[in-house]
Amino acid sequence: MNDVWILGIESSCDETSVSIVKNGNEEIATVVLSQMDTHANYGGVVPEIASRMHVENITLVIEECLKKASMKMEDITAIAVTYGPGLIGSLLVGVTSATTLAYLYQKPLIPVHHIAGHIYANNLEQPMQFPLIALVVSGGHTDLIYMKDNYSFEKIGGTLDDAVGEAYDKVARVASIPYPGGPLVDKLSYEGEDAYSLPTPLDDTSYNFSFSGLKSAVINLVHNEKQRGNTINEADLACSFQTRVVDILTKKTLRALKQYHVNNLIVAGGVAANSGLRNRLKTLCEENQIHLSFPSLKYCTDNAAMIAAAGYFAYNLGRKSGYDLKAKATDVLH
Amino acid sequence: MRSLFIDTSSFFMFLAIIEDDHILVSKQEEILTDMASKIVPTIDSLFQKVPFEIKDIDTIFVVNGPGSFTGVRVGVTVAKTIAWALKKKVIPISSLEFLATTPVSTKYCVPAIDARRGYVYAGVYDQELNVIVGNQYILLEKILPYLQDGTLVSRDHLEDSIEPSVDVLEIVHKHQNDAGVNPHELVPNYLKLTEAEENRLSKE
Repeated sequence: MNDVWILGIESSCDETSVSIVKNGNEEIATVVLSQMDTHANYGGVVPEIASRMHVENITLVIEECLKKASMKMEDITAIAVTYGPGLIGSLLVGVTSATTLAYLYQKPLIPVHHIAGHIYANNLEQPMQFPLIALVVSGGHTDLIYMKDNYSFEKIGGTLDDAVGEAYDKVARVASIPYPGGPLVDKLSYEGEDAYSLPTPLDDTSYNFSFSGLKSAVINLVHNEKQRGNTINEADLACSFQTRVVDILTKKTLRALKQYHVNNLIVAGGVAANSGLRNRLKTLCEENQIHLSFPSLKYCTDNAAMIAAAGYFAYNLGRKSGYDLKAKATDVLH
Repeated sequence: MRSLFIDTSSFFMFLAIIEDDHILVSKQEEILTDMASKIVPTIDSLFQKVPFEIKDIDTIFVVNGPGSFTGVRVGVTVAKTIAWALKKKVIPISSLEFLATTPVSTKYCVPAIDARRGYVYAGVYDQELNVIVGNQYILLEKILPYLQDGTLVSRDHLEDSIEPSVDVLEIVHKHQNDAGVNPHELVPNYLKLTEAEENRLSKE
């Protein structure tokens, strides 16, 4: 079989990234240009600034990636690009550049759903084994997905309100922890104890999640303590919050694995970098003989290697687009 | 000289393939949504109508603003990707100067684009496209003095404005010997900071 070299482009939020992946599992070169430092000045991603920075950097990042790989566009088999979901202005830059390249070099253009990318980041570690359950946890998603085979996505549950990463950022803001709050809350939680009484969110028989109640409970707690003139122990608060989040995520994930008779679990998305979640899942999966896979930390945040990896499987299934590929702010994973 | 001209800075997409002093083929279309998904298919269809390929062009002209932020980004992204990939010269063109190619009977031509809340992006040009007042983000009322001997040209139905009737050959002729810019450094000319940046600056 001929080798397949996919050039992936990702620009759905605040990272401009380009990567070349061989046969869906071997990363040849990846360049990620993060705008995080800029957006940190505003306490979060500013969509218009993100779009402006993508257009400034897109060709530089493509060139840098090809250079790093010592390859030319002519060597590429197909071009994969995140078409959605994400910030529409940001997505448009990647999609427009990818479409132009596909036209100029007469290469197949492969649209990739951002979440499919996060899931296939795991394939860069070791070949994914099916059937599997994917727990997708990020700033925009909290989903449980059953995959019978490659590119077969059956969503069995998801968040009804805030995504888990979003809840982390909001809690961090209330506790005056700087942006991006998620990683800092995770770190702080190890320095504290589960001393605050917080509810376990949506502890029911479904596979859905809800984090807005837990988030409100944290906001009320901080507010009440302040009114009483008490200082908040940030580390304890981080620990109590993280404990409730990890409790419910792992509980529902394990139940899904049992009910679907699946013993492969993959975790994907930015919150897959959360050490509290990683450690608890490692222990639970060992106890239950579940084969567990996490992306390496560099593939947890947005990157184009995961898009190129997913793009390989989409390409093999003939999922090509014409030059009229539309970016989509929202789209169901399919 | 063969060139590709791209303007997606307003709700009109204008694309043309030009050889020396002739427009070989062009397309102007009102596009209210999804400009990005229409530009490459249109470029592809235009090149099917000429006896050479996109790699055979010498220069890309791209209108890089001011105008619709998203629209300008789409055109600039296409232009810089082509220019970088095919190692072609790329020349940015002001949307206002392009509007100023509209024939007027007054001394000055005052192209303007509605920027909302009473503001416009505007400039003042003479009949030879010399810049009298440079492109700026300005209150509409502040350009009114130039209309005593000038004509307001706009697509946005501003009061007393006339519809543009642009002349792509005039603008290409004027700029064809420009040095061009490094494709990596080709960026939109928004003429305006983002709201977030303005708010941050006003707090400092």
